[in-house]
Amino acid sequence: MNLRLAYATLCGLTLAGLVHVATVLAIPLLSETDALSRARGSESLDHPQPIYTVATTANPAPAEAWLPIPDPAVAVGVCAYDLADGPLRVSARTGPLMLTLAAHGRRGAFYAVTDQAAVRGALDLVILTRAQYDEALASDDESEPSRDVRIVAPDRQGFVVVRAVAGLPSQRAAANAAVQAVACSIDSQSEEPPTR
Amino acid sequence: MRPALTAQATAAARAGGRIVGVGQRLWRRSAWVGLALYALALGAGLGLASADWATRGGYPFGGVAVGAWTIWPRAGATSADPYTRAVNARRGEIPLAVGEGLLMTAATDDAGRGLDAACTYSITGATPPARAWTLTVSGRGDPDPARPPMREGFTATEILRERDGRFAISLGPEAEPGNWLPSPRETGPLRLALRLYDTPVAASAGSLDRDAVPAITRLRCRT
Repeated sequence: MNLRLAYATLCGLTLAGLVHVATVLAIPLLSETDALSRARGSESLDHPQPIYTVATTANPAPAEAWLPIPDPAVAVGVCAYDLADGPLRVSARTGPLMLTLAAHGRRGAFYAVTDQAAVRGALDLVILTRAQYDEALASDDESEPSRDVRIVAPDRQGFVVVRAVAGLPSQRAAANAAVQAVACSIDSQSEEPPTR
Repeated sequence: MRPALTAQATAAARAGGRIVGVGQRLWRRSAWVGLALYALALGAGLGLASADWATRGGYPFGGVAVGAWTIWPRAGATSADPYTRAVNARRGEIPLAVGEGLLMTAATDDAGRGLDAACTYSITGATPPARAWTLTVSGRGDPDPARPPMREGFTATEILRERDGRFAISLGPEAEPGNWLPSPRETGPLRLALRLYDTPVAASAGSLDRDAVPAITRLRCRT
């Protein structure tokens, strides 16, 4: 009987290892509270959904705070995208504050750029699928090279995070405004209507 | 009378023996079933509990220790390990990407003792090169709602520096001259987070040495 019990315990422990590995791998896929699922709510907005607005004297308690441990000096906004609707274009005008854009897919961030990459004060990031990228390259005008930063996304769905760093307390309102001023739009470059 | 009794007794004994026999067979089979159920329950319960425990708190793997600080260079990358991705999914965290910045956390001082809210610490030195950085402190659990909101962190532009560019930030429950970061709670452990934005060290976090990160020294403790 003891031998059988030990054998059963061994089987149980092996099964526990397999369940552990399967659970850890399944948590990001099944999670409802991860950033990708929550960002889907903002897919139809033209500007980033503010997920952390820095507290200013006018608004001491930030309204949206779904980041678990937010940085109190950085305003954060997200733009969710679904590349089936078309490429996503994120346009930012750089100002005195530091601004960063990062593109996240299902598995993590695949691209990040700061406002240092801006050309003449404008930063345009375009997220595309491989097919859309080839199409954009083909339709590029040779005499007028595009200033867009084109990134091929690994997944169809994802989100772009915009962060503006407020170095001093007097810059906090400007940081919130800088996140709101970024424009997220869907580029429909092809003439025929998208087939569904 | 006796032959009837013995006939009844033997009939009862035979029936009893049959029941015992069936019972023994059932017991042998149910022993196997019982063991199988036990193994399944052990596997499922232990597996789920250990997965929950591993992904509940901070990132379990991927940290590079430099002095009292732990650097998390790949917390947001696609090459992050599954535990890091599970922790991010559960918390709803959007970690800093490699081109955006770097997160460093500290839960102990340079001597290895845990950061305590009743003690006063001095965070001195310099940070790795970055365009901007912020240093924040947090306690474990939800903040006390009755506590008035006080400073939670410092940014690189806000602090007072010495002539050679180095700084000293005091973290403690009582007000100190210079840069004072109040303890967020009365008692309990604290955690410091230093976030570097737009830094070249994000790509080579393993090459930082102790002089490049701030030193955390304990000055005195209340109680």
